[in-house]
Amino acid sequence: MSSHLKSNVIPPSRQREKPRAGLTWIGQSIKRVEDPRILTGKGGYIDDVVVAGMAQAAMVSSPHAHARIVSIDTSKAKEVPGVIGVYTGADLATVVDPCPSFASPPVPQHAMAIDKVRHVGEVVAAVVAEDRYIAEDAAALVEVEWEVLPANVDIEASLEATGDAVLHPDDRKSNCALDESFAFGPVEADFAAADRVITRRLRWNRSSAQAIETCGVVAQWDAFKGGYTIHANTNFYSFIPFVIGGSLRVSPGELKMIPVLTGGSFGSKVFIHKIIILTAGLARLAGVPVKYIEDRLEHFTNSDSHGSDRLYDCELAVMEDGSFKSMRFTVLDDYGAYLQFGVGTHGNAMAQVTGPYRIGSFGMRVIAVLTNKCQQGPYRGFGSEVTNWVMERMVDAAAEELGRDPLELREQNMIQPDEFPYMIPTGNIYDSGNFQEVLGQAREMFDLDTWRAKVRAARAEGRCVGVGVATCMERSVYGPTEWWSLNNRETPGFTLTSTPEGISARIDPSGKLFVTLNSCMVGNSPETVVTQILAERLTVDPADVVINYADSQTGFNGVGPQGSRFTAMVAGACVTASIRLEEKLKRFGAHMLQRRPEDVELRGGMVAVKGLKDQEKSFAEIALTSSFFRLSFPDGEEFDSGMETTAVYDHPLSTDPHPEREHLGIFYPIVGHICHMVAVEVDPETGKVEILDYAAVHDNGTIVNPRTLGGQVWGGTANGIGTTLSEQFVYDADGQFTNPNFAEFAMPTAHEMPTNFKLGHVETPSPYTEYGIKGGGEGGRLGAPSALTSAIEDALRDRGVKIAALPVTPPILRGLIRDADAAAVAAE
Amino acid sequence: MKPAAFEYHRPDDLPSALALLRAHEDASVLAGGQSLVPMMNYRLAQPDHLVDINRIDELDFIRAESAVIVIGALARHRTIQSSPLIAERLPMVAHAYEWIAHAAVRNRGTLCGNLCHADPASEMPALMQVLEAEMVLARADGTRRVPAVEFFTGTYETARAAGEMLTEVRIPTPPAGSGWGFEEVSMRKGDFAWAAVGCQLRIDNGALVDVRMAAAGVGDCALRLRGIEAALEGEPPSADLFAQAAHDAAEALDPPDTAAVSADYRRDLVRALAPRALTAAVARAE
Amino acid sequence: MDKVAIELTVNGRARQALVAPRVLLSDFIRQQLALPGTHVGCEHGVCGSCNVLVNGVAVRSCLMFAVQLDGAELTTVEGFGGADTLHPIQEAFWEEHGLQCGFCTPGMLAAASELLAQTPDPTEAEIREAIAGNLCRCTGYQYIIEAIRSAARKLREARVETTEPV
Repeated sequence: MSSHLKSNVIPPSRQREKPRAGLTWIGQSIKRVEDPRILTGKGGYIDDVVVAGMAQAAMVSSPHAHARIVSIDTSKAKEVPGVIGVYTGADLATVVDPCPSFASPPVPQHAMAIDKVRHVGEVVAAVVAEDRYIAEDAAALVEVEWEVLPANVDIEASLEATGDAVLHPDDRKSNCALDESFAFGPVEADFAAADRVITRRLRWNRSSAQAIETCGVVAQWDAFKGGYTIHANTNFYSFIPFVIGGSLRVSPGELKMIPVLTGGSFGSKVFIHKIIILTAGLARLAGVPVKYIEDRLEHFTNSDSHGSDRLYDCELAVMEDGSFKSMRFTVLDDYGAYLQFGVGTHGNAMAQVTGPYRIGSFGMRVIAVLTNKCQQGPYRGFGSEVTNWVMERMVDAAAEELGRDPLELREQNMIQPDEFPYMIPTGNIYDSGNFQEVLGQAREMFDLDTWRAKVRAARAEGRCVGVGVATCMERSVYGPTEWWSLNNRETPGFTLTSTPEGISARIDPSGKLFVTLNSCMVGNSPETVVTQILAERLTVDPADVVINYADSQTGFNGVGPQGSRFTAMVAGACVTASIRLEEKLKRFGAHMLQRRPEDVELRGGMVAVKGLKDQEKSFAEIALTSSFFRLSFPDGEEFDSGMETTAVYDHPLSTDPHPEREHLGIFYPIVGHICHMVAVEVDPETGKVEILDYAAVHDNGTIVNPRTLGGQVWGGTANGIGTTLSEQFVYDADGQFTNPNFAEFAMPTAHEMPTNFKLGHVETPSPYTEYGIKGGGEGGRLGAPSALTSAIEDALRDRGVKIAALPVTPPILRGLIRDADAAAVAAE
Repeated sequence: MKPAAFEYHRPDDLPSALALLRAHEDASVLAGGQSLVPMMNYRLAQPDHLVDINRIDELDFIRAESAVIVIGALARHRTIQSSPLIAERLPMVAHAYEWIAHAAVRNRGTLCGNLCHADPASEMPALMQVLEAEMVLARADGTRRVPAVEFFTGTYETARAAGEMLTEVRIPTPPAGSGWGFEEVSMRKGDFAWAAVGCQLRIDNGALVDVRMAAAGVGDCALRLRGIEAALEGEPPSADLFAQAAHDAAEALDPPDTAAVSADYRRDLVRALAPRALTAAVARAE
Repeated sequence: MDKVAIELTVNGRARQALVAPRVLLSDFIRQQLALPGTHVGCEHGVCGSCNVLVNGVAVRSCLMFAVQLDGAELTTVEGFGGADTLHPIQEAFWEEHGLQCGFCTPGMLAAASELLAQTPDPTEAEIREAIAGNLCRCTGYQYIIEAIRSAARKLREARVETTEPV
């Protein structure tokens, strides 16, 4: 270990439940608890929420990428019958303050633009009307006079912009939002000692999650209590009152957030506070409850959830024997017009930036660039999907320059199974893993040797067939310091150190186990995994577990499904809750059985005397007696009525960053590992890529439900295939977003998915989480881009095509082939 | 994304529909609605009057009139795609439907509506030119016939005048022994074409004759590729000939040049796809 | 514009309604009929979430006007089956994990239902083609395809059972 990491001491494990065989419910593919109501159309999504007297909002959006608002005339719009009110940014500012920001120092952002718009789609006025049709009629009548300003579209050019092209001239003199450098370990010395430095310029372009449901809010202002009741489809509802209370000028406790079933997030609905603030403000101004559901165009152009958009200049220091010494890069990231989470996604990536390899030091300079695009937000991978790709591109490049087999080079540098917990140069640890076993299983499943022979045969026929391999990390269960650890040291911002997950659980007098979650469902399976874990621990039938969701006033300690954290974290809360319930059940049950608590055990939903049949009391009997027959039990608060508990589980393993940022501490330690292998054929004349075969092996620790984990891997892989081959936000020189629709932003359909996908799992349990569970919600997208890129480059190896940018759509790939062919002709 | 208000008319017969179109010059005809309604939802189209022809049963037909297949204004893609008559007499049309939209859209959308929408990247306008179809445009006081090659005049523009309705398209059955080919590249299967080419030809004494070829996605509207046709006519088929003709045709095109899909790329696709379509057509020709 | 009176059958029940001509079928179903199972994902006819069956045929409800439904038979996801009466296709989606967030599911069910009515024993390619107009961002489609294959089996078996002599 490098000396800079010496102060980062790994705390002892707090794991109570060891992974073990012979579990009854954990590890079973039970049918999801959530499904029947969803399958029958009764899921309860945001647009299903109807509140008495509710009006609908429609927005007036900027057609320009960058412009001053000279004037807004709402008079015609206000005359439309059925219109309740028409409001501008200035109107909204009478009841709300600017949006919160995790960046330090922040870039100010208003939920509705006031003097200036900074991207196409930014809202400048809103209509509240009886229905959405009327609201849109009126919105079309709002007249805005614009003074168009120069638009910044290119990431490098925007850094040079001056004068009117600067987005936030009052706060920053240029479009550079932040420029921070980091070095972890002896980067300079390692580079000086290296035999060779591999250099690549790599580009990852902008796209976004585009869940099939857009974001939406139903907000009510209570003038008597001075608070809001808000339904919104955010992942983040328990915490969000504390994030936006200030903007709404109410205390967080006066903000009641009610969760709804969310129609897909993939990170994109974590930070939807802008439209929550916007809708709440409109409800207050209009004096009626207001519903605002983004339409698809608004979701594309204004949802603050665009993905990473980065340009890397990357260097990998290697020795002639193939061992990696150090890596460093400068990255420009096009953040769009605002900066809601500061260093954000780059911090996330620091959790696993050196991949599964032994690399002794790491350096990074990150420059956040402001441009006239909608700002970034979280998206499956949260930046780590990009660094995975960068790492794997660099390894492929090293293999090529060293004349080595890419797979063999990976194996040579991989962390060995006996080296865990393994601390990487940034200070994060990899808790456990067996990368070699994952790779071995993938190789076998994919039949790599046969594929390599097939590739040789196809090449001999002049076909462009290739295979690609990616061995990547899938960090999960983020710790709280991820949010701010990279902020500058002078103003680090809100340095929170908690990311808890909690539940409350109660056995009611009928014997049912009622559980309340503090996190919502976004397409994950919270009810199913909690049911499985509690059924396991309390020996109850899953059919007797009933799951509900708290609102933000009745439940608090929940951060929600994001960063592949929920299952591992809620498992901890379930263990705590069940320990407490078990103790209470035994205390009451033993009293009823006239035994000592230590003489009884839980058995099939009963408290039963150890070693004796028929000496038992059902949970229903115990709960009923404890709830309704207080005088049957002794005095004393240990026999207080009822059978319930509340449990909170804190992050199992995180440490503070080093005060001088020599390392970042442990902040994302529960790591999975993935290996994807793919075979493709490229049509060199059209640039079309066909996936011939695909194998994915994931290690997500102990699996709670194999089928639902499989669904996450499959779906993430589909997402990664789209990211690689077809999905890109395309802007023209004026900053117009040219393809904000589902016809042109091409997410994969069933036709684009490989027909013979093979899925495998290795289970290396975490030594730190309960049962050894790790997260698994992002892995597909964390592996697919690397493997596919590698396969495409391999298929075109004979033509000298290098892939340094994603996506590689057919027009882009054909362009690369055309250029390579021309270069080959020129060289002859 | 909600449509602006309009006045709705639902005539039960063709004369009533044509009378409505005469009375309301800015009326739009609603057949399948699969192109019109999205444009209305975006408010890119805001007709004051909508004439819904879905109850005019007399327009819902596919029939053979000796050597001509006649398809009425209400014949839906799905019906055409699965019609035994089309499979037998116009196999290229049946085949091309594999690239056109998706099931639920084909269930509602009509061929005539698709042709009137005249999306430059849509496949059927190109195929109608290969097949030398005729468009029958009816108005309250008469009808006229317009050859496909004259019907498509620009992006979303056709020769149809205000007050007219495309009531049927008349497609000559290819002569016996004809071969055909159709090739397309789009981002996803079912998307609009970045480039699509269709062709029909015969072989007479070892030479290509009656060569017809058209393309979608490579101009303001679907285009007949006369240059290729002329280069091949009377020549024996060969890979070199196809490649040269396709190359020359591609060079002569002025395709749309957008940030995502360049004109060069679309030309490359013509170079790639035209020979493939021709090779397939030769293989199918007897 | 004046509202138009329409009569239609909704999930087997006769209904009457007054609709403004511009009201999209999707909005009519969700708001006037108060059947929230039909989901609106894009309103430009690409995602397929709003697919419903009109006279047994799967259509995009965001690309039709409610007024066009006069006299028609409409089936939404609520017409498939309820909590204790899941339709075999719903059951198969449940068993095979054919849904995650569930937002695309009603449209998928409509597409699957139409396919299986026409093609009781579809190939994988036919299943892919049938659902290619329905975007799903969660599943990667594989378990949806498996669910439809399983549903086909269930429906075929049900048919065999009902035709056997008692």
